[in-house]
Amino acid sequence: MPLRTREEFIRSIAELDLKVYMFGDRIEDYVDHPIIRPSLECIAMTYELAQQPEYQDLMLATSHLTGKKINRFTHIHQSTDDLIKKVKMLRLLGQKTGSCFQRCVGMDALNALWSVTYECDQARGTDYHQRFRTYVQYLQDNDLVADGAMTDPKGDRSLPPHQQPDPDVYVHVVERREDGIVVRGAKAHQTGACNSHEVVVMPTIAMREGDEDFAVSFACPANAEGVYYIYGRQSCDTRKLEGNDLDIGNARFGGQEALMVFDDVFIPWDHVFLCGEVEFASPLVERFAGFHRSSYGGCKVGVGDVLIGAASLAAEMNGVQKASHIKDKIVEMTHLNETMFACGIACSAEGVRMPAGNYQIDLLLANITKQNVTRFPYEIARLAEDIAGGLMVTMPSAQDLADEKIGPIVEKYLVGQCDTPTIDRMRVLRLIENLTLGTAAVGYRTESMHGAGSPQAQRIMIARQSNLDHKKELAKALAGVGKPWDKEKLKTPGAAARA
Amino acid sequence: MTAGGADATAVAARGPAHAGGPTVCDSATAARTGAAALRIVYCGGCNPQIDRAAIAAELVGPAGNAHTDERAGAAGGTGGPVVYLSGCARACASGQRLTSGAPGEIVVAGEAVDGRPTPAGDIAATILKKLKE
Repeated sequence: MPLRTREEFIRSIAELDLKVYMFGDRIEDYVDHPIIRPSLECIAMTYELAQQPEYQDLMLATSHLTGKKINRFTHIHQSTDDLIKKVKMLRLLGQKTGSCFQRCVGMDALNALWSVTYECDQARGTDYHQRFRTYVQYLQDNDLVADGAMTDPKGDRSLPPHQQPDPDVYVHVVERREDGIVVRGAKAHQTGACNSHEVVVMPTIAMREGDEDFAVSFACPANAEGVYYIYGRQSCDTRKLEGNDLDIGNARFGGQEALMVFDDVFIPWDHVFLCGEVEFASPLVERFAGFHRSSYGGCKVGVGDVLIGAASLAAEMNGVQKASHIKDKIVEMTHLNETMFACGIACSAEGVRMPAGNYQIDLLLANITKQNVTRFPYEIARLAEDIAGGLMVTMPSAQDLADEKIGPIVEKYLVGQCDTPTIDRMRVLRLIENLTLGTAAVGYRTESMHGAGSPQAQRIMIARQSNLDHKKELAKALAGVGKPWDKEKLKTPGAAARA
Repeated sequence: MTAGGADATAVAARGPAHAGGPTVCDSATAARTGAAALRIVYCGGCNPQIDRAAIAAELVGPAGNAHTDERAGAAGGTGGPVVYLSGCARACASGQRLTSGAPGEIVVAGEAVDGRPTPAGDIAATILKKLKE
């Protein structure tokens, strides 16, 4: 199958007939639901740009399995150049959507599983890698979206999976059959879950003896029997039901998260990629997290580009763009944004070829990338709010602006620089509100904090890989630690100077 | 392997089988350039300072018949002139080179044509002038 168009993608998601629940109701027409549709448009953009020559250098790759042109989101990275282009592609999509476009999580899951299944086979004599190769080619050949599902609800964090009072808080095997396994549990805050064709499940933490039923990785269609989704709320989400685009801020695009439930789902063996090999849960989690943390050095930067642009526009519309402190704040926002990008590029350029043949990012630098991402978007958002002024959260509604009697009053008092239409000023301020406090803040702020692992998870990885002993040796060598010290020299006048 | 070490000719000749090489489009610009069909090699456009699509449209004329979306052939391509069209000074389309040195090849990298600063609005005209020369 050739690359899908955006229309073909949207139609294919509609045809899945997913079980999606929101506000207590089953949403039958989820593709056209006003709260859901913007998130679908985001993934559609990954198809749309792949059709445009001026973006194909980033959006397309050549499959190492078939030699065919494929969407980069289904690609297994074959070089550091691939890793770099991935980060740039994510920046591009962040710029085009101003939102979380959701498709990277599946790409990162595929690349993590590629090497882990290979290494598991080498160590355990299993045949997961061949199964996984076949599955990846299926995704590539059909240009599908795979949702990478890692985060279990986890229940009591002080207990391992097998000691949880309710084992369902971790996805686990409840039955082993000759033809496959049956799984139960849930994955929390699943990005793009209802916009995906397939689900790729991985364990969420390192496992140990006793956790065999929980050390499971598999794939299934998003509409597999027993899979359903409970849609996650976002701040200001019901503005999308009000029937006007102004107060939404970014009317066309948005992110999506859902609670994904596996209610005794049957998985045939050819879609099982890990089942009981507890020692491979940790590398899988570590590698997926590494890939995903590097991704944030692209996507959040692209959204940051939009926010910096919006803040600059707001300054112009307020007539303060020449004020030195405003210019300095824009510079600071740019500095922070490009620092995240630099980290994303650096961990990619320092990538290595794995035994399985794919390329993996440098894990230390990927964790540094994400650690910065847990902070910098907050500061960029703070500066944007500073520049925008309080009006971004106190503006009257679109209905007021449209009102025959009130509208002219709103128009009169919300005017900014004289040649700027009030409606445009309101649009820019609403976009800033959307990114910093509204629906897009889910992706730009809290997801920057917790997505791909909370800050402490990165700090643990940074501590593990900080090579502290080497640093201490460097310091010892320069300080002369351990060298014999001839204190007698100091007792002779002028000796120190002569030495 | 990054694209940094590739020379411009090699970049142009990668063709469809190369993993993620810059995107090449053939262009029927013979009428305007007086030369063989023009090929445009795009970078991916992650942070462009110029409107690459608009410049390409100017190069191929108002009929817009250039973007056949036909990928360049394998080594050798079409043999006509080549424009490497990068959105910024990183020059990804030309393998991180600001000039090519090969006859018939022009490198655009942000607001620069063959390494010379050129305002965005003048880039297409500068390219057309060079092609005629």
